[in-house]
Amino acid sequence: MAASVLCRRTVSVSFRASSCKHAFSPGGFLLQTACYNPKPLRLNLKDPYIPEKDSENTPEWQKSAKYDRKLFGRYGSASGIDPASLWPSHAELDKIIAEENEWHPPLEVMLKNIEAREKEEAEKRREKEKIIAANMAKMPKMVADWRREKREAKQKQKEEKARREKLLAEARERFGSTMDPRSPKFLEMVAEIEKEEKKKKKLLKRRQKEEQTAGAGPTPAAPS
Amino acid sequence: MSFPKKPGGKALDVLQNLPRITLANLRPEPGARKRERRRGRGQHGGNRSGRGHKGERQRGTRPRLGFEGGQTPFYLAIPKYGFNEGHSRRPQYQPLSLKRLQYLIDLGRVDPTQPIDLTQLVNARGVTIQPLKRDYGVQLVDEGSDIFAAKINIEVQRASEGAIAAVERNGGVITTSFYDPISIEILIRPVPFFMRGQPIPKRMLPGEDMVPYYTSAENRGYLADPDKIQQARLALAQKYGYVLPDISRDELYHMLAMRKDVRQVFFGLSPGWVVNMAERKILKPTDEKLLKYYTS
Repeated sequence: MAASVLCRRTVSVSFRASSCKHAFSPGGFLLQTACYNPKPLRLNLKDPYIPEKDSENTPEWQKSAKYDRKLFGRYGSASGIDPASLWPSHAELDKIIAEENEWHPPLEVMLKNIEAREKEEAEKRREKEKIIAANMAKMPKMVADWRREKREAKQKQKEEKARREKLLAEARERFGSTMDPRSPKFLEMVAEIEKEEKKKKKLLKRRQKEEQTAGAGPTPAAPS
Repeated sequence: MSFPKKPGGKALDVLQNLPRITLANLRPEPGARKRERRRGRGQHGGNRSGRGHKGERQRGTRPRLGFEGGQTPFYLAIPKYGFNEGHSRRPQYQPLSLKRLQYLIDLGRVDPTQPIDLTQLVNARGVTIQPLKRDYGVQLVDEGSDIFAAKINIEVQRASEGAIAAVERNGGVITTSFYDPISIEILIRPVPFFMRGQPIPKRMLPGEDMVPYYTSAENRGYLADPDKIQQARLALAQKYGYVLPDISRDELYHMLAMRKDVRQVFFGLSPGWVVNMAERKILKPTDEKLLKYYTS
């Protein structure tokens, strides 16, 4: 492992920096411990600059409370600043508290909000999923319906075409030449044929009915 | 054939006797520097100095990238999608890999016998945090998790699962915690803050969008329940297949068990205290109202 490898390296090279402490790890290796070399604090404590509050020559920004705090931070009690003034006064504290109450809700409130939002989102999602599931259940029937409709439309078209061709062929037979399907002569002929067909159909129906009554008449009489 | 008696002895001797290496006595290797080419001198004067003939190419006045000579450029013609929405306002976390952390520990730049937080990492020059660039701290990345071998108590802002596993496998403790921009500025540069003579503020709670991260035990969040964290530690050990070392019987138990309060910025310093560097004193408030505010 890296530490052991590096420990060996640390042993072989002896550090001369006296600021570093050395510690012996349980394994017997020399371990280096942290030796942070901080930047020197250049504090001018012998000749502190403390501006006069009443003097006109002092710039405005050196008369502020923030600067006073800075002076205290720099020179300590030698700055002549009352340590109590480092903290916000009661009025300022009230303001801070009011702001905090407005913008920083406590953890419980946040957790409650999060829970409510998650619940709402889950509800929304569940509803959407329900709709999708219901629609998906309808899907096979809809597809089948659509296929059937399409097939029927095709069939109908085919029949129409066949009928038209048949009519045209009949017209050609009757008039001896190819007819324009929009001509009044042709249309007349079509109407005639349709009439005849209707008549035929009616006749057929009547006959069927008669046959049925004739066939059904004696059957209920037989058992009596 | 004659061998010197001590191999490397001379070099060591030289190293010991030469003055300390500083920026003042460093210079480039001979041959490392190359003189700049001076174009259009001598017999080439009056020519085009390799820039071709006339126009934007010669004068270096090419239009901006993506400009298509006046027609609506591609980058404006295609529709936008919100992948990068709010990118300039997103919190950033500087990466710190386990490899680098191990390096810092091995060099003695970070002391593993003390709890490591952002101050230690910044002082060790391990990471650079810029709060003004929306840096909210460091993220521990699991690069080098196979060579990581230190037992530490570290506090970071984000951590990947592999990194958490690597730290805990060695018997360490990891916590992810949130610092608001003001406290992070104070945390990375404590001394300039102390020189301002202001009381240490309360650490603010994370926003509603970050609360779920820091309340989850899987992320070792500082707002999570300690019992749940213990369960999550065991679960992670099982997942990664290592035996979780028992911390409570460790000789460094006191150090490993150290954790900051939710409102605390520094180890050992409570919010509301004033640290005076000049007199080496800590001033504590006594006013009831102040105490109530700072302890809430």
